[in-house]
Amino acid sequence: MHITRMRNGQRQTLELATFTVGKEQCGIDILQIQEINKIIQRTPIPQAPDYVVGVFNLRGRIVTIVDLCKKLGLGKTEMGERTRNIVVNSFDGSAGLLVSSIGDMVVVEANSMEQAPANLCSIEHIYFTGVFKTETQIIGLLDIDKVMSLDDCAMTQSTTEQGSTSHGKN
Amino acid sequence: MHQPENETAKPITHPELNPDKGSNEAMPALTYRVDDNDGSTGLEAIRVQVSLLDSLMTLAGELVLSRNQLLQTITVNDLKCAESVGQRIDLITSELQEAIMHARMQPIGTIFDTLPGVVNDIADVTGKRIELSIFGRDVELDKTIIDAISAPLLHLVRRAAEYGIDSPDQRSVQDKPRQGTILLGALHEAGQVVIEIKDDGVAPDSERIAIEAVRSEIVSLEQCQGLSDKEKLNLAFSPGLCCADSVPRVDGFGDVKAAIDKLGGQIEIDEFAVGGTVVSVRLPLTLAIIPCQVIMSEDERYAIPQANLEELLRIPAIQVKERIELVGSAEVVRLRGKLLPLVRLADVLEIQRTYIDPDDDEIRVDRRLRIADRRSRKADSEDIPVILDQEDLVSRREAPDRRQSANSALNIVVVSAGNCTYGLIVDSLQDSEEIVIKPLDRHLQQCRGYAGATIMGNGRIALILDVANLAAMAQLTLMGDHLNVQAGDSEATENVEENHSMLIFRCAEHEQFGIRLDQVERIEKIKRGDIENLGGKRVMQYRGGSLNLIGIDEVASVQPLAEHDDLLIMVFSYQEHSVGLLACGPIDTREIGNRIDDTSLRQPGIAGSVIIDGQTTMVVDIDEMVGRLYPEWSTSSGRR
Repeated sequence: MHITRMRNGQRQTLELATFTVGKEQCGIDILQIQEINKIIQRTPIPQAPDYVVGVFNLRGRIVTIVDLCKKLGLGKTEMGERTRNIVVNSFDGSAGLLVSSIGDMVVVEANSMEQAPANLCSIEHIYFTGVFKTETQIIGLLDIDKVMSLDDCAMTQSTTEQGSTSHGKN
Repeated sequence: MHQPENETAKPITHPELNPDKGSNEAMPALTYRVDDNDGSTGLEAIRVQVSLLDSLMTLAGELVLSRNQLLQTITVNDLKCAESVGQRIDLITSELQEAIMHARMQPIGTIFDTLPGVVNDIADVTGKRIELSIFGRDVELDKTIIDAISAPLLHLVRRAAEYGIDSPDQRSVQDKPRQGTILLGALHEAGQVVIEIKDDGVAPDSERIAIEAVRSEIVSLEQCQGLSDKEKLNLAFSPGLCCADSVPRVDGFGDVKAAIDKLGGQIEIDEFAVGGTVVSVRLPLTLAIIPCQVIMSEDERYAIPQANLEELLRIPAIQVKERIELVGSAEVVRLRGKLLPLVRLADVLEIQRTYIDPDDDEIRVDRRLRIADRRSRKADSEDIPVILDQEDLVSRREAPDRRQSANSALNIVVVSAGNCTYGLIVDSLQDSEEIVIKPLDRHLQQCRGYAGATIMGNGRIALILDVANLAAMAQLTLMGDHLNVQAGDSEATENVEENHSMLIFRCAEHEQFGIRLDQVERIEKIKRGDIENLGGKRVMQYRGGSLNLIGIDEVASVQPLAEHDDLLIMVFSYQEHSVGLLACGPIDTREIGNRIDDTSLRQPGIAGSVIIDGQTTMVVDIDEMVGRLYPEWSTSSGRR
């Protein structure tokens, strides 16, 4: 997310694709999303980390599907009519994010972003770049690179945190 | 707007943040497992001829045209036309694939040419005189293989120069020219590339290697005694063998072999005729596309690289109880007198096993611990494991088996990785296919059982199994070698009374011969050119020695061997000698009773005749034949 802002310093508005994770409303900058689809066919991977639902074939590429809910520590996403797969581009290739449902596309002012509160919607604040308030809702902007960083061991977290602060403030 | 348009959804990524994205995209197929630390190759370039680019462009144009045609045929629903368009696309795709593969090929000279400098440096420092002669610079290999092979090759050449070749003074003592030669070459052979490093120096001491191997518990002392010199030399490639002090010539060869195994290649060391060493490395031309055996386990497809595949084995339901045995707590199967450890793929991957109940066609969870155990309806319904005491178990195993359903047959894929051979039990065996390897995401790097994934013809994904890691996960390492129990003797003697298995073969078009199958040690396919005529005898090189060859017509008055180029030899052992009987195909086996007619066609070397499938078949008496041709062998104190 911070990358987008750096490149487009003058950009006034952000377009966020919103979706629900468990019961919480979150958003991703639309420019980080490659596509949104239903999972038609997925191949489970035995012995994979529990947040990996499987892999699927995206026009000849093998893309891993991550259960966003599980990855953020909110429990498993139940597969249903409304579950969708958001294919995002994180720093090392694409990944699919399994979300409970897709919401609207929301346009927000870039400079209205606020620091994420320590415990926004029961998801740890380190996963958020910030929050946006609209008239009706609060949308947490997910930091995809952080969400997709390899598991929760303290070391990776601290390194990515350092990296992101140096990037973000410049 | 719910879904972003594809065009606007172009990601903006920071170029510095993904330096290796390009390389990951461009050659996903080429690494079995992409290590993070060697992904720093983002800026690599490759030289390609313009003509090749032109042909790629033409093919791409053709492909676009065909696609348009295909779309059109789909719109008008013209099946006939679709067929021809399909064929065209098939053709173009293969051509395109070939052209792209060709673009990735590079001459091996690029690494060969760095080596003379290394050898000269060693020669200068040690005061030796070494000439490195190189041939086969033009042999082309996939770029990934070229990159991966350069370090192992450097190591092999270095070792040859440092420890293989002696100083000029020592060499002249041994009647060798003062200048040592290292011959480095590459050639194509049977769809593979062979790289040979020959030196005319001193061969490594195979005994010392064997001693080190025993000390490192890679082989047991008894096993070691049965090994030939060449096999002892090849122990140098065992992983974990450290002989930096005792045999520096082969130090680090274990790592070299690991690197070459990773590429799906083989490596071998042998003593050279004039007193020297030859190390030969066999490599596949490319890693991008590999032939694989596809198997299924619990409704998911998996691929096993053919390089790891030894054979496929199906044990009919009715034999499962007899052929699957327990050694300690390990399950093994008897395969030609050897015990092969068995591993259930579902268990290693921790997948819940299921089975289809033959009575009501429902899918139930399979709870049996051992293959030969039987299911108990009681345990299924009460949902608790039934603990049986030993007596109970024995009585259940001895009771007549009700295992009859064909679904209970065991499908076993016999695989080998390094020096570990084992049987992988899978649910079903599918086709063998050429597949394109794609790496798995880093989230899945912790799953060691997979070498990657591939997309099958139907668009589904199959995981490629890493056979070596699966063995490690099942804690099988080296178990295969310890299980060489002498089994099978009882089977062989039982059969003598009842039925013989007869191996049927031919030497000339119209004469059929048979021989007792249990006398044959091995059958090998050879070319006529492999036979050498020396000292009035026919011999061929075989497993590092020479094998005497005999023909039936040398003893019995039968038609001479047909003039085929492809021949078979059946290897027999006679006293402590081995002998190869020349024959040609087709070969087959039949069960016959004790009804050999030992009068009508009896002659030297022929025990009699039997009628098989309406054809009179002469039964060969191999002992008599060898006894007549090599009378000196029959005394137990033979020649050697």
